Amino acid sequence: MEFSISGNALKTFARSIICLARVGNELVVQASQTQLGLHTLNASRSAYQSITFQSSFFDAYTVSGPQAHFSVLLKAVCSVLRTPVASIDHMSVQLPDHDASKVKWALECYSGMKKTYWITCNVEPDIQHLSLDRGRFPSSMVVHPRNLSKLLGNFQSSLQEITIIATDQTSFPSDAASEIGGKAVEFRSYVDPTKDGDSLLHTQLWIDPSEEFLQYTHAGDPIDITFSLKELKAFLSFCEGCEADIHLFFEKAGEPILMAPKFGLGDGSSSSFDATLVLATMLVSQLQEGVMPEPPVAANSTDGHAAEQVGSEPQERSRQSASEHPSDHTRVWSELSGTATKSVNGSEERPQAQGQPDVNIQRIRDMEISKGGPAGDNAPGPSNSQRPTQMDHAEGSRVRVENNQSFSQRHPSNWVDASEDEDEDDGVDATPPHNEDY
Amino acid sequence: MSSSPAIEPDAPDLVCQLDNVQGMVDALACVRWKRHQDALVELSEHGIVLIVEESGCLQAKVYLQRELFTKYEYGAEGRPRFGISLGLLVDCLNTFSSPGHSNTIEIKYPGPDMELLLKSVDTLNSCIYSEIRTRLPETSAWDYNFEQAGSAPLTFTVKSSALKEAIDDLEWPGSSVQISLQKSPPCVTFRGEGHGDLQIDLMYYANTDLLLAFHCDTEVSYRYKYKFLKATTANIPGNVVRENRGSKLTIGRGGMLKVQHLVSVAKALAPQVESAGYQPPSRIAYIEFFVKPEEPDD
Repeated sequence: MEFSISGNALKTFARSIICLARVGNELVVQASQTQLGLHTLNASRSAYQSITFQSSFFDAYTVSGPQAHFSVLLKAVCSVLRTPVASIDHMSVQLPDHDASKVKWALECYSGMKKTYWITCNVEPDIQHLSLDRGRFPSSMVVHPRNLSKLLGNFQSSLQEITIIATDQTSFPSDAASEIGGKAVEFRSYVDPTKDGDSLLHTQLWIDPSEEFLQYTHAGDPIDITFSLKELKAFLSFCEGCEADIHLFFEKAGEPILMAPKFGLGDGSSSSFDATLVLATMLVSQLQEGVMPEPPVAANSTDGHAAEQVGSEPQERSRQSASEHPSDHTRVWSELSGTATKSVNGSEERPQAQGQPDVNIQRIRDMEISKGGPAGDNAPGPSNSQRPTQMDHAEGSRVRVENNQSFSQRHPSNWVDASEDEDEDDGVDATPPHNEDY
Repeated sequence: MSSSPAIEPDAPDLVCQLDNVQGMVDALACVRWKRHQDALVELSEHGIVLIVEESGCLQAKVYLQRELFTKYEYGAEGRPRFGISLGLLVDCLNTFSSPGHSNTIEIKYPGPDMELLLKSVDTLNSCIYSEIRTRLPETSAWDYNFEQAGSAPLTFTVKSSALKEAIDDLEWPGSSVQISLQKSPPCVTFRGEGHGDLQIDLMYYANTDLLLAFHCDTEVSYRYKYKFLKATTANIPGNVVRENRGSKLTIGRGGMLKVQHLVSVAKALAPQVESAGYQPPSRIAYIEFFVKPEEPDD
C-alpha cells in the first residue's frame, strides 16, 4: 500500500493525526481500494475516533490486493509530523507488503532535506471497528466550533466531564413566563462525587439554541448526557482547522454521543474525507425521571466559603429569567442563589442525582466494539450492539439517592437569605435573575 | 592596543573591553549543554580560549580573538590558565547585558585572589561589578589532535538551522547516529536506529542553499552518540539562524568529528546591514566541537 500527499491535503492529514493522538495511543490504518481509514480507541474504551479519506484525497493512492492494514503508535506518527507542515513539499507513506514489519514515511522538504522514517508496526494490532448509524440518534445539534469553544470557555479549563441537558424547545409548562424561546439547552460541569472535593467551582450555562447553535433538534422529554471534555476539545480544534461546523448526535444518558464535521455547501473537500468521534456517556442520568435537573451538589468541602460560587451565564436575553425555563429545577436553582426567601431545607424527597459516594457507580461504560469488520460497515444489527453496555452493574443505573445523603454539605452559611450579610449577590452577577422585575 | 613593553610586576595578566556583552554570552552559551560544566580558560596575546569537555568523548572550544575586543591589554608572561564554572560565567555575563542595548564590559584577570573581575563601563552613574572565583586547572585539556582523514579533507558545510533541525529530529529513533558521506551523488546521510528508524539525506544538488560546500573523495561512515551530537547544536544562538550561517563539519582520522560554528559578536547594527558576509571576520567568535566516534561494533 502506498500513498502520497501534499499541500492542503497534507495539512488536513496532519491535523487528523494530531486529533487522533489526543484521543488514543494506537493508530489503526485500514486501506481499501477506494478509501483509507484511520481509527483509534482510547485505553478506557470510552472514546473512538475514525477519519476516512477517499482515494481522491491523495496525490497518489495504490493498494495491492483488496485491502491492507497496519497499526502503529500515534506518538511515532506525531514524531514524523514534527517537521512543520509548511516546510514539507510532500509526504509519502508505504507499506511494502502485507506482513511488513515497518511502515515507511518519507518527507521531502523545501529546504532540500529528505527525511525517511521507518515506524515499527504493532504486532498484534487491536483492530477495532465501530460504526454507528447517525440516523438512530433522535437528537442533534450543529454548532460553529469557535462558538462552542467560547461556550466551553465558561467552564474551568481543568474540567474533565461535562453534562449537556437538552430539552424540547417547543414545550414549556403553562405557568412559564410569557417570554418564549427559552434556553432549552443547559451545559453543566460534572463533578465526580467520588473524587476529593477539590473542585469547588460548579458551572451551569443555559443556552438558547436559536442564538448559539446553527441547528438544534430535540423532541420529547428532557435528556442529559455526560461525557469527557478532552476529546470534544480535540475534535473542536480539528473541525475548526477544517473550517467545518461540528455536528453532535445524541440520544440520552448511557447512549453514546457521536460527533462529525459538517461542511458547508459547495465545499469541495467535504467529499473526500469524513471524521467521526464517538464518546461513551455516563449511565447515570443527572436528571430524575419526571423531575427537572437538580442543581449540582455543592462541593463536599466542609469549609463554607464560596463552595456555592456558581458561574452561570444566561445568554444575551438576560431578561428571560430562569423561571421560564420549563422546569422546577431552575426555580430550585434560583433558590440556591439566595434571591428567594424560601430556604432550602434538607427535604428528603428532593433526590440527588449525584449518587452516593459509597455506591460503586459504574460511570462511563465500555462501548461494545465489534471486532474486525470492513470499513464502511454502516448497519449495525441489534446483536452487534454498539451501545454501551447497560447491564453490567445494576447499581450503576439510574441511581435514586435516598436520604442518606445528608445535607451537611449544604452548610447553612452557604445560603444567603435576607438576614445574612454576605454580599453574595454582588459577586455572582451572572446568576439568572428570576424574581426581579426588569 | 598592545601592551607596553615594560611590564610592571603587578600589572594584571589581562585587561580587555568588549562592546557587546550579549555576543560573548551567545558564544559561550553555545557550548553549554549541561547545568554544571567546568571550563578551562586560557589567555594569550592572541585572545581568550575557553574549553569544555565531557567524559573524554566531547570537547568544545570557544575562540575569542583579541580583534573582537575594543581594548586588549595583555601583560602576562606565558599563557595563564584557570578553571571556572561555565554556567556561572555565562549567567554572570548575562546580568551585564540588557536587551536592545550593546553593553560594554571590562574583563580583568587576575583579581587579588585570582578571581576574574567583570565591570560595566558604559554607564556614568552606576556600575555593575562582579568577581568570579577561579580554580587551578588540574589537568590540561585533552588535545584531540584532530588530523585530516586522508589525502583530502572530508568535509561539508551545511546551513546551521538545517543541521539543528536534523539533529533535533534524530532524537526520536535512538541513542546513536551514523553519519555517512557519499561521493556520488554527493550526499550526507544521518541515520538513527532504535525503536524506529530515521534517515535524513542532504543531497548536494537538491538545493543550493542547503549544502554550501562538500568535499569527499572516499565514502566514510561513522557512528556518534546522539547526546554528544545534540550538544553541538542544542544552544546555537538565534543570530546564527537569522544570519543564515553555515556550520562546517569535518571527519578526521579515525572518525573524529569536528563541528564548527560562527557566532557574531559584533554590535547589533541596522538590520539591513546584518547578513552573512557583511561582518568583518574579526567580529566573529569561532566555536569548535570535537566528537569521538563510537567504537565500531561488529
